Amino acid sequence: MSTIPSIEPFNRLVRLAARAFYDDISMKGDNQPKTSRGDNRGMAVVVLDALTRRQWVREEDLAKALKLHSKQLRRILRFFEEEKLVTRDHRKENAKGAKVHNAAAAAAGDGPPGTKEGEEKVKMHTHSYCCLDYAQICDVVRYRIHRMKKKLKDELDSRNTIQHYICPSCNKRYSAFDALQLVSYTDEYFHCENCNGELVAESDKLASEEMGDGDDNVRKRRREKLKDMQQRIEEQLKPLVAQLDRVKNLPPPEFGSLQTWERANVGAFANGDPSAADSSRNSQGQYGTPMPYMGETKVEVEIADGVKEEGAESGKNGSELKVLPPWMIKDGMNLTKEQRGETSKVSKLDEESEAKDDKKQDSKDDQSIQEEYIKAYYEALRKKQEEEEAKMRMQQEGETFVSDSQSERQVGKKYKREDEDEGIEWEEQQPTGNATEQYKLADLNAEAQESGDDEDDLEWEEG
Amino acid sequence: MFFHIVLERNMQLHPRHFGPHLRDKLVSKLIKDVEGTCSGRHGFVVAITGVEDIGKGLIREGTGYVTFPVKYQCVVFRPFKGEILEAVVTMVNKMGFFAEAGPVQIFVSNHLIPDDMEFQSGDVPNYTTSDGSVKIQKESEVRLKIIGTRVDATEIFCIGTIKDDFLGVISDPGAAV
Repeated sequence: MSTIPSIEPFNRLVRLAARAFYDDISMKGDNQPKTSRGDNRGMAVVVLDALTRRQWVREEDLAKALKLHSKQLRRILRFFEEEKLVTRDHRKENAKGAKVHNAAAAAAGDGPPGTKEGEEKVKMHTHSYCCLDYAQICDVVRYRIHRMKKKLKDELDSRNTIQHYICPSCNKRYSAFDALQLVSYTDEYFHCENCNGELVAESDKLASEEMGDGDDNVRKRRREKLKDMQQRIEEQLKPLVAQLDRVKNLPPPEFGSLQTWERANVGAFANGDPSAADSSRNSQGQYGTPMPYMGETKVEVEIADGVKEEGAESGKNGSELKVLPPWMIKDGMNLTKEQRGETSKVSKLDEESEAKDDKKQDSKDDQSIQEEYIKAYYEALRKKQEEEEAKMRMQQEGETFVSDSQSERQVGKKYKREDEDEGIEWEEQQPTGNATEQYKLADLNAEAQESGDDEDDLEWEEG
Repeated sequence: MFFHIVLERNMQLHPRHFGPHLRDKLVSKLIKDVEGTCSGRHGFVVAITGVEDIGKGLIREGTGYVTFPVKYQCVVFRPFKGEILEAVVTMVNKMGFFAEAGPVQIFVSNHLIPDDMEFQSGDVPNYTTSDGSVKIQKESEVRLKIIGTRVDATEIFCIGTIKDDFLGVISDPGAAV
């Protein structure tokens, strides 16, 4: 999960590249007539954008989320696979296998797809999954830009072109391939086979008669066009190149193969409190669209791009994030669940988004919570006070956390880094401590899920 | 690029060679016939490294010659577009220079020579940079890139360039002397 903070620059890169290169790609069968109604240019961009908000996703689910026909989507994905932007995986699986993916998706922050009932009926079906291959995308984009520039430059320099020669008297043309026959041993020039006249290189003629018309003029205009094109490329690809530079030294997010990804995330799911998965299911299930990692990263997307993204999905994301800025949630974290509920009573939509966001915030801020707990626990030990007192203190701190525990925060953090084991151990002890019921439940969910994630990620990456 | 491949050829052998050394005669004739030839498909046959199989001879009616199908291994050299070669300059003139990489003739026209190199006519025609540090003349060794090949049935001719990174003179005979 350590990849999450660095994923945003890469997503931005993907979105820029999509708009630069795949803007006018029309995904169409050759036999279909080109009507304005069936014009689906820009679809490729939409699909890529959608993929930046997901990890491994089943293609059917993606199609459903994008309101695309699955065949159409598959064609686009196949195209991207050929372009090396997307990795795909196909496998035969029954409903159980699909559930594993759902679980993994849930653990990774995906909501489980809402196609549950349908899947149980299906026996063995081949399902396709797809995922962005960030590492490769960087290389592909860089290579593409390099090729574009090189091609133009070569044409401008007339490099790698075969020189042509022309006989001024009889207008016979020769190419450099004929050089061996044209060599004269009396002087330094090539001579025409017919009339023995001196041959003139065609490009020399162009250089000497730049103002001439006819053939030369065409060339000259072509040269100008090339130069113009070169300039425009520089100009228009500037943001993309800048983003490439920014991303160059960052480790690209790596989801691994479908199986490793699933195992990693399922592991987290299994370790976590089952209610965690349930809550996530409740909060997201209704939409049936997996939407991983659109927590705080999403905010930046909306601001940076200002691009209207597809449909209700993105509209919802945007609105929920505007309603709940991160700092607000941070404060709310230390409060009880009712208080959190209070803020999210506006509408059903908001409630769901809030729960989702809280989960994200939980995982993000869980370190500070942990610090707080540890600190409380330490003090409880040191002073040898009774558990009641410890609980009281914790509640007090919860209220005064922002103001008076700033200085001690550092101590807690340090401690946590040094002995991560103890932190976990302590968690297991926690049930004996009489913390507030809601308090414990909410935080344990996030805690267990997150730490499980981390461990599993590590395991699989090493293996 | 060099390849080690197996080729097949029908050899005609005069009846006077029939005897205990028929096989040796066949192989020596094969080497004499094939080495140094050029086919458009496979390139130049540089050397025969072994004979794999000699089939049953067939006596031609009327002449008495016998035809043997012979399979042999050989090293061939075929230049490709985009390939980098090292070659020896054989001739320099105003239009460019010719160079040889083994059996292959390569022509580098003057617009594929870097712009800072200028033709100097005289006793030893050459291309020289303005500061005189690099000189291309007869017997110079150059590294060049093939940008075009003309492959005929019995001939391969190449166009090269030295107008690219890391191409150009690799040893200067003028400096050595």
